[in-house]
Amino acid sequence: MNVLGVSCYYHDAAACLIKDGHVVAAAQEERFNRRKFSAQLPVCAINYCVQAGGIAFNDIDYVGFYEKPFLKFSRVLINHLKAYPFSLSNFLKTTPEWLKDRLVLPLVLKKELGIKKEVFFIKHHLSHAASAFLVSPFEKAAILTADGVGEWATLSCGLGEGNSIKIVKEIHYPDSLGLLYTAITTYLGFKALAGEGKVMGLAAYGKPVYLDKFRKIVAVNPDGSFQIDECYFGFNRGGRMYSDRFVKMFGPAREPEGKIDERHSDMAASVQAFTEEVLISIARNLNAQLGVKNLCLAGGLFLNCVANHKILENTGFEKIFVQPAAGDSGGALGVAAYIYNTFLNNPRNFVMKHAYLGPEFSQGHIKRILRMSDLNFKEFNEQELYAYVAGKIAKNKIVGWFQGRMEFGPRALGNRSILANPCNPEMKELLNSKVKKREQFRPYAPAVLAERSREFFALKDDSPFMLLACAVREDKKKLIPAVTHVDTTARVQTVAQGSNPRFWQLIKAFEKITGVPILINTSFNLRGEPIVCSPEEAIECFKNSEMDILVLENFVLEK
Amino acid sequence: MEKSKICRRCVLVENGVDVRLNQEGVCNICLDYSEGGKTDNLQRNPLESGFIKILNKTKGKGEYDCLVMCSGGKDSTAALYFMKKRYKLNALAFTFDHSFESKEALENVKNAAEALKADFLYFKSEFMKEMFCDILKNNSKAVLCHVCSIWYMDIVLKTAARFKIPVIIGGWTKGQCSRKAESARERFDEKEKEFASMSKETKEFLNMYKKTNPKYRDFPLSMREAITRAGKKHKCVILSPHWFLPFESEEYVEIIKRELGWKYAALSYPAKSTNCELNFISVYNSIKYFGYTHYHVEMAKMVREGVLDREEALKNLEINFDKTLLNKIAAKLDYRFD
Repeated sequence: MNVLGVSCYYHDAAACLIKDGHVVAAAQEERFNRRKFSAQLPVCAINYCVQAGGIAFNDIDYVGFYEKPFLKFSRVLINHLKAYPFSLSNFLKTTPEWLKDRLVLPLVLKKELGIKKEVFFIKHHLSHAASAFLVSPFEKAAILTADGVGEWATLSCGLGEGNSIKIVKEIHYPDSLGLLYTAITTYLGFKALAGEGKVMGLAAYGKPVYLDKFRKIVAVNPDGSFQIDECYFGFNRGGRMYSDRFVKMFGPAREPEGKIDERHSDMAASVQAFTEEVLISIARNLNAQLGVKNLCLAGGLFLNCVANHKILENTGFEKIFVQPAAGDSGGALGVAAYIYNTFLNNPRNFVMKHAYLGPEFSQGHIKRILRMSDLNFKEFNEQELYAYVAGKIAKNKIVGWFQGRMEFGPRALGNRSILANPCNPEMKELLNSKVKKREQFRPYAPAVLAERSREFFALKDDSPFMLLACAVREDKKKLIPAVTHVDTTARVQTVAQGSNPRFWQLIKAFEKITGVPILINTSFNLRGEPIVCSPEEAIECFKNSEMDILVLENFVLEK
Repeated sequence: MEKSKICRRCVLVENGVDVRLNQEGVCNICLDYSEGGKTDNLQRNPLESGFIKILNKTKGKGEYDCLVMCSGGKDSTAALYFMKKRYKLNALAFTFDHSFESKEALENVKNAAEALKADFLYFKSEFMKEMFCDILKNNSKAVLCHVCSIWYMDIVLKTAARFKIPVIIGGWTKGQCSRKAESARERFDEKEKEFASMSKETKEFLNMYKKTNPKYRDFPLSMREAITRAGKKHKCVILSPHWFLPFESEEYVEIIKRELGWKYAALSYPAKSTNCELNFISVYNSIKYFGYTHYHVEMAKMVREGVLDREEALKNLEINFDKTLLNKIAAKLDYRFD
């Protein structure tokens, strides 16, 4: 049985194919159409999933969409009315889009893809909940989802058991931690839905001096639920997300690309601390209410790896599972899994142990591409490759590492990664100046051999998807300065031999040379571009940056 | 063929006219490609859903949903397989025989049509024999495969019109179509530099020959003319599923061998093909007059687009026949190579 899940029309459009309960393919549309965070109907990703799944379009049995468009549109309409006349221009701009495709999705799928199957719609947060629980290793778990907004819900709590999911509580728009975080992101001069991670990174530089003010504009109840004072925000108007009153309280907003001062860092630290405080409170209550040991997290807010680890440390849950595509792209996986497991009542037979669900390219294909380029390359056997590349990294070379299937979700996890030496205190600046061109305050993440991760990091659980940030052990800080953030934490990826043997072997080879079982792992892209998908894109990225070495499977190119 | 005259990037042979090598041994076609001829990913790999969209528009509107031009080769047999099995269309398998088709090719088409339960139209004719004969006897540089393809396409278009078939399917692979795959209609695109001399000679020959031979009075001067002429009577689109599918030929050869009993021809050029016997003569003459064949052009494109390994292409293009074979075939046309 083949179930296709689709998410799109807001941001991070994606498709996922589940074949007899197994997730066989999943990818975001941005990787194919090269438009970052693409919201378009994921036509390319759907084509990819069907072909990678070894089926024909006719073989799709069910199609699922990750939210209920009519319910969402009702919220949009009501809020336009509430904010009239300020919302008029936004209403006129967005309504045709709803009528053209969002409200007539089955017709669009038929027209654009020839898919004539009935389309199942489930609620946005149920998609997130399903994406986290149904592919988790847990038989029973509490589920917490949070993002900007779905139809009405912005946060939901639930219980997953076997193949069923029961939502026990929801918080509704406009009370939204996700929107609050995004509003502050834009206030700090970063782009909505893209700059939230930057705010999280910046938070480490500040002090949460505005925490009390946040508590004033967002009333938090003992059970963790909360009400936002809308006077401080402008979620409905289609312009900026915060109001004049907000500016009056916190001061002027930072201009995009403007100087970052202490006030901005403190603001970031405050919203981060406030978000953690509320999430911990909700999770604690959920733990007490449900009495289960495991917790599943999904929704864009749980791409916040700092908050994730604090939830694990402070709420009584013993194990945590954060689905790698925790944002809206994961909704495609969630709805497909929900249809197969819950709606059709099939037992769960798949655990998401890795995120390598995207396209891959054969050695032969890569060799042909390379031969047509004007670049010199050398082919290595496996063992030579690891030793050679690790040696180069140890000598502070920056390496583009392209192998196997592309990752599903926003993180590069060793198949479309840029790798570097974490022991070099200059490496962050080198990476920034030569390749990534990122803001100086943003940290780089470590990929560590899973079996040695606790020696270096105060991790409470494995972090295979780079979604937990924790303290670097005191005695190791000096060893890995390039991945130790200013607050002495690191956003860790634990690499198990079983889930990515080649990446594991490379780190192992680096460990053999340096004694450190860690590499810097950052996404294989240039600033503002989606992560590379194909070898051609990897070559272009290599050419257009000062990356020193490019490894495409067993082929090595050097500048 | 001197190795030094083959482009070091693709497989085209320098002929001093259409294909010239620079000091680094790279041909002008490859240089043009590097400087902007490179297609983007979606042009190189158009989406399968786009293909389905086209098929769905016309499905059920003719006596057949599509006509598949079957040569008995791996690519066209796989095309028939995909149309029947993957897209579940009512396909008409069509093949022609001008008396030079190999036994294996004809058996392959027959077996495939039977196994796939497709209606099968077999068209045998010696209509072209006289023209082929005259091309050889007059030492014309016109390419036998070009005139034959024009004739074949003309028959196919007329057959499609007869049965009101809206889609014509060929087995063209990614290297055998022009850059915008979705709009490609011609195997020999005279606008492409590599084909310029071949197209010119063929056109000039046909122009002259039509005037002196009433039998060929209505023969189209080019593939484009055949298509334009047919389009006035019956609208149809000409496509290949291979442009839209990611499968490499090894994958579908395995499938058609297993499910349709498909076989390679004992001897054919290029290697791993099932082209007709006359093709040997056409290849011999093309190399003699132009330095390379249309197979070199196709494979060069595939090498450039990264779908074929250069060494494999060169191996496939090695001449695997001699004059004894040529004369055995030419005897059917009352001709003999010295």
